[in-house]
Parts: sequence; structure tokens; C-alpha cells
Amino acid sequence: MNLAQSGFGVALTIGALTAVLAVAVPVRLRAAVTGAGTALTGAAGAATGVAAVLGQSFTLALPGLLPLSGVSLVLDPLGGVFLAVTGGVAVAAGIYGIGYARHGGDARLVSAVLPLFVMAMLVVPVAASVGTLLVGWELMALTSLLLVLTEHRRREEVAEAGRWYAVMTHLGLVAVLIGLMIFAGHAGGDSFAALRAAARHMSPTVAGVVFVLVLAGFGSKAGILPLHAWLPRAHPEAPSHVSALMSAAMVNLGVYGIVRVGFDLFGGVAAGGTRWWWLLVLLLGAASAVYGILQAAMSTDLKRLLGYSTTENMGLVLVGVGAAGLFASSGNRALAGLALAAALLHVINHAGFKTLLFLAAGSVLHATGTRDLDALGGLRAGMPATTAAFGWGGLAASALPPGTAFVSEWLLVQALIHGLPTAGAATAIVLPVAVAAVALTAGLAVATFVKAFGVGFLARPRSDAAARASESSPAMLAGMGLAGVACAVLALVPTVVLSGVGRVAGVVAGSGGRAVTGVVTLQLTAIAGTLSPLLLTLALLAAMVVVLGVVRAVAARRARRVARLWDCGAGPLSARMEYTATSFAEPLQRVFDDVVAPETDVDVTHHEESRYLVAAVEYRRRVPDRIERRLYQPVLAAIGFWGQVGRRLAPGSVHRYLGYGFYAVIVLLIVLTVTR
Amino acid sequence: MLRLWRKIRAVGRVAEPALPAWTGERPAAAAGLGGSVQIRHVDAGSCNGCEVEIGSAFGPVHDVERYGARLVASPRHADALLVTGPVTRNMAEPLRRTYEAVPAPKLVVAVGDCARDCGVFAGAYGVVGAVSDVVPVDMEVAGCPPRPEAIVAAVRKLTGR
Repeated sequence: MNLAQSGFGVALTIGALTAVLAVAVPVRLRAAVTGAGTALTGAAGAATGVAAVLGQSFTLALPGLLPLSGVSLVLDPLGGVFLAVTGGVAVAAGIYGIGYARHGGDARLVSAVLPLFVMAMLVVPVAASVGTLLVGWELMALTSLLLVLTEHRRREEVAEAGRWYAVMTHLGLVAVLIGLMIFAGHAGGDSFAALRAAARHMSPTVAGVVFVLVLAGFGSKAGILPLHAWLPRAHPEAPSHVSALMSAAMVNLGVYGIVRVGFDLFGGVAAGGTRWWWLLVLLLGAASAVYGILQAAMSTDLKRLLGYSTTENMGLVLVGVGAAGLFASSGNRALAGLALAAALLHVINHAGFKTLLFLAAGSVLHATGTRDLDALGGLRAGMPATTAAFGWGGLAASALPPGTAFVSEWLLVQALIHGLPTAGAATAIVLPVAVAAVALTAGLAVATFVKAFGVGFLARPRSDAAARASESSPAMLAGMGLAGVACAVLALVPTVVLSGVGRVAGVVAGSGGRAVTGVVTLQLTAIAGTLSPLLLTLALLAAMVVVLGVVRAVAARRARRVARLWDCGAGPLSARMEYTATSFAEPLQRVFDDVVAPETDVDVTHHEESRYLVAAVEYRRRVPDRIERRLYQPVLAAIGFWGQVGRRLAPGSVHRYLGYGFYAVIVLLIVLTVTR
Repeated sequence: MLRLWRKIRAVGRVAEPALPAWTGERPAAAAGLGGSVQIRHVDAGSCNGCEVEIGSAFGPVHDVERYGARLVASPRHADALLVTGPVTRNMAEPLRRTYEAVPAPKLVVAVGDCARDCGVFAGAYGVVGAVSDVVPVDMEVAGCPPRPEAIVAAVRKLTGR
């Protein structure tokens, strides 16, 4: 029994024990027990994942555990990466939960479901048969749905978010189910080994149908356009440590599914015939990245902003995955390894900073009771540690040098640029477009997080609640601190994880070797390129110190005059004069007017006596999700219409219902007679 | 775009010919400014007649910018204040603060009769007094409203060009 196997066993055991204990222990201890248990489950899962990346593996078959197919688990390096990420997020979220859940989210059901959710997420990347994968997937969907609904008694929006999530996650499950069932039907068995063997003999059409179905199902979980509508609704409504788990760990499993099916199960047919698959993945990824960050930039709800940013980052990951598939299908395996390594590194980075950001947003929500950026501000005074955490997370998310996203996006752009010589007209068009999309996304991300941090935490408080905010409990700070340290390590010495991730990507993409080498300086093996995040950061710090020193020295020579702060001569500045999130995003919104299509409404009420006198002016602005409006509204309207029509079939007469049954049996018999 | 070009061609040059270099005397404080003066305009309670004339002086016809003056958006950037109107109660404190916000050496030009001695508004209940009652005034431009040429002459006295 190796470390991987025992670690996985320990994780599941602790998770199950925690779920049972959460129901049994008194309410006073419940949050602590659930949080600690979840953190320990995560730690064991993370250890298992790291062991798997380092080369350990295990196989476990329990044919009797589930009817029909049984349970079959195989841990390999690819699954290990996602296991480690999920475990890591669970550790931070669990510790945070000790302090957070005490204030509301410590109902018996919710506490028991949290460790089960983590367990389900640990099972998915280890599943080695269609049946096991789908059971784990559905368990993950159901537990997360219950967690999203935690606060449904207190707020109405939660129920609506829950409905969206429930419907979309199950449509996604149906897509994955049909796709993998077709696959398994051709393979004659549902184990992944059988699927791999069968993939070589599948016709391109069937393989394409399977891939598109699976892409739709897994893509909807990853929040990819146009199936993202649930994500910015459901993630913000969950308790914040659950938001972190969903946004930093669960969405990754969508990427995992796409990589597993596309690279591993269909690995044998990836040569040549499947280029359009990966072009589709790449284009969807690029569109999601740009659209997601654009909506995030427009958003004034702190957690909704983070939810849209998840769509953006998953889009960037899929750009990497798509590029890797594209390079692999044109035979450039080394470059494919690099692109996939960039994608996997971005998954890890995103998990790090999104955990940190959601936990910090949770502290803000907890302290002020609002997520509306236009009502926040000035939190720096009351919540210095949370402010620092959010600032560090925002820096990490905005792809600037001392941040984590910078390294993975740099790798991604390197792979895309050097992929240009790869033959094919479609590739020659798509790759530069993808580079442009990544660059635009990075720029918009900076604007988004400057907005979120500047408006939300700096300046003066815009509401009494924000003015009275006080720092969160030590457990919450510890959770944030852990995620912050992880971000710092990923930002400064990404080689710690890149050596493992590069090897995994090499194996999955079929290049064999490691995509990136080096300890302090990253060296790309496939192409000429080096980067040293640590030295870059040191150089940046040194430059800042030098510039500050020179400015100080110059200023010290000049005579100083103490003057009143210039406030236009009109008296003290008030919070009403500050930039709000809406006004900060307004120039951007104008630039992208045609894309985001904001709705503005001006109602002018005149005096009764004269049209020349204005009694009141009401101005409303909304930035609706355009895709949602164009794509979902007609579908919902059609479903509503057919629902109304269908009601006529059910007038309440028992005779008629019996008649339906009778005629249905008759029709069935006729069909069977004719077809047999 | 084409219409703009056509307009430019049809209208031609409207600016007055440039005047010969300034040879008259200059306030002592203005000498320290060299030939470039940044001006902040403060409306301390004017009827906007003076504003129209200041706009005209800085417009394309008189174009006082060619003599080295420029209107700026903040007293922090300014060398001189161009104050118009009798100083009303609401504007007395802002005017004082604006004056304090201008870095030294600084000059104040009171433009128009109201700024010099409250004009027709003298003794009105909302008026504190002339500009010189609130901040020290270095130069005055007479007229109700003063002609743009007079404003141009005052500004040239500051820039010395």
C-alpha cells in the first residue's frame, strides 16, 4: 500500500466521519468539527494528488459497491493534479469555514454535506469507468446544489440561483451521460481502458458527436460560453467558503473532463482527423475569456464579479487546452506539452487566487452584510488583513509580474506565438486571434481588479455598514493566509509545481519530456524562452525602491509648503464624490457598448403646473448578460408556452388519464409489432 | 469631416493680427513667471457677462494664448487668478481657499467693474464685497463688461509678450 492509496483512503474516511460527526455533535462544536474535518480531508486528498504527480498510482476495483458497473478507481498523474488542487482549496476553505459557518451556515444538513462535496470532488478525477465518473459527478452536483441553497430562507435570490444551477447542471450531466454512453456502447464496456481501446476504431462522425456532447456537458460545469449562465448566479449565493470550493475547485473538473476525454480516451485518434474539435475548444475558450472578464468589469456585485472572472480564467485554460490539442493533432507534440502545461498551471494558479479572493469577499460580506461595491469602500481602516488579502489576490488575478496569473499566461502566449508555423489556414487565423484575446483579457482583468480593490477597499466608506466593518475571526484570516501564501509561492517559484505539471502535460500530450525546466529561471524546452519570476519581482522591487529614493532625495532639497488639500474650495470631500464601481467602469462600458449593450432608462417627472419645471429625474442603468437574454430567454419562453399548452392535456379527469395509459400501451405494442 | 474642411476653407483666418511685443510696465511678481502664465478663472458671483468676454479673449479672434497665457483647470497648476463678479457670501471662502491653493509667486486680476467695486450689486444682501476685500488684488480691468481687448492687454501685462 503506497502513499497515494493510503492517502486517498484516509481522505475518504475522514470525509465520511466528518459528515457523520457533523450530524451528531452539538451545534456549538459543529462548525469547528466540519471545518477541521473538511480541511483534513483536503489535506489527505492533496497529499494523494502530489504523490500521484510524483509517480505513484493505484488501482482499485469494487465491483459490488454499485449495481451494474461497480466502482473502479485508477489514480494517474493527470488525475493527481486535479486531486491536489481540490485538496488544497478544501484545506483553505475548511479552515476558513470554522470561523465563517458559525454565523449562520452551521445547520445540520449543510455541515454534513460540505465534507461530502469535497469527497465527491476527490472521487471524480480518480474515476476509471463511466459509471464511477457519472456517480461522482452527480454526487458533486447534488451536494453543491444543497450548499448553494444554504441561505434560501433568508434571501429570495438564492432559490432562483438554485433553480438555474439545478437545471443547468443536470442538462450538463445529460449531455455527458449521452456522450459517454454512445462511447461506451461502441466500446462494449464502460471502463476507461475499454474506451481507449475502442477509440481507435470509432468513425470520425461518432467520435465527433461524442466529443461535442462531452464538451457541452463538462464545459457547462467550467462556466464556458454560452453555458455559463448559472455560474455568476449560483457561485455568489453560496456561503463564501463554498463559493471558493465551487469556483476554485469544482469548475476545474470541467476542464479535467475535457482533457481526460479528448487527450486520454481519444488519445489514439488525435492524429489528424480531430483538428476541428480543438479549434472549437480554443474559440469557445477565447470567447469565454473576453466575455467573462468584460462582464466582470461591468459588475458591481463583488462576488458576481468573481464568478464572471472564473468564466474568464476557465476560458484561458481552454485556450491552452485547445492549442495543445491543435498542436498535438498537427504532430507538434513538444509544443502541445507546453500549451497543456500552461493550461494546467493556470488551473492551479486560478485555484489559488480565486480561493483567496472569494474568502476575502466572504469576510467583507460577513463584516458589512453587502456585496454591492457601490455601498462599500474604506474597508482598509477596519479590515487591514482582509484588504491586504484581496489586494494580493487581485494582483495575482490581473496577470501583472509579481502575480501568479502572469507566469501561466506568459507560458500560454509563448505557446500560441510559437505555434504559428504549425501548418493550416485555420490555425494561422485562430492563433493570432487567440493571442489577441489573451492580451485583451489580461488588460481588462487589470481594470476589473483595480475597480474591485480600489472601489471596494480604499477611499472612504460609502455606507454605515462599511464604516463599521471590523476584522474577521482568526480562523477566517488563517484560511485566507494559507491561500495567500500559496499564491506567493506560485508567483515567485512556480518551478515548484511546474516541474510536476510539465511532466504530467508531457505525458498527456504525448511529448514524453518535460515542457519546462529550471529552478529559479523557467526554461522552455520546446522553444527558446526563459523567465524568472523571482528575479523579475526582485528587480521590480529594487526599481521601486530606487525611484522612491530619488524622488525623496529630490523633494528634500526643495522648500516645502504645507497647504490644505485642494477640494475645489467647496469644503470637505464626501463619499458621494468618489468614483463608484459603476462610474469607474463607465468608460469601458462605452468602449464595448456594442458588445455589452447596456440598458439606460431616464424618467423625468414634470411639475403639474409647468412643463418647464422638473419635479424628479430617475435614472436607471442595467448591464444585462446579453447572451443570457438572446439565448436563454427565447428557450425559457418556448418552454413556458409549451408548458401552458401541455396543461390542457391534464384537465383533472381520471378517465382521461386512464385513457392516456391505455392508448400509450396500444401505440407501444403497435410499434413493437411493426419494428420486430 | 469634409464639412469641417469646407468650413475651414470658407471661413479662412479670423484671428486679429498679432500685436507688437509688450513694452509697458509689468507687476513685480509677474517678472518671476517668465513669459508663460497659467491662469485659473474664478467666478465669484458674476452675471457671466465677463465670462463671455474672457471666452472671447481666449477664443480664435483675439487668441490671447499666443501671448503665453493659458487657462488651467486647477489653482494648483496656476500662476494667476482671473476673478470676476462681486464676491458673494457663498463664494468668499472658496475664493480664499483658491487663492491659498495657488503656489507663489501668484497674482490676482480682478476683471470687470463688479470685481473692482461691486458695480451695480454694491450693498446687496448676498454680496460680501469687492475682490480686494477678500484676497489681495494686483491688477484690475475696468468695464461692464470689459472689452476683450482690455482683457488681452491685462494678460499681456502679466506675460510681458
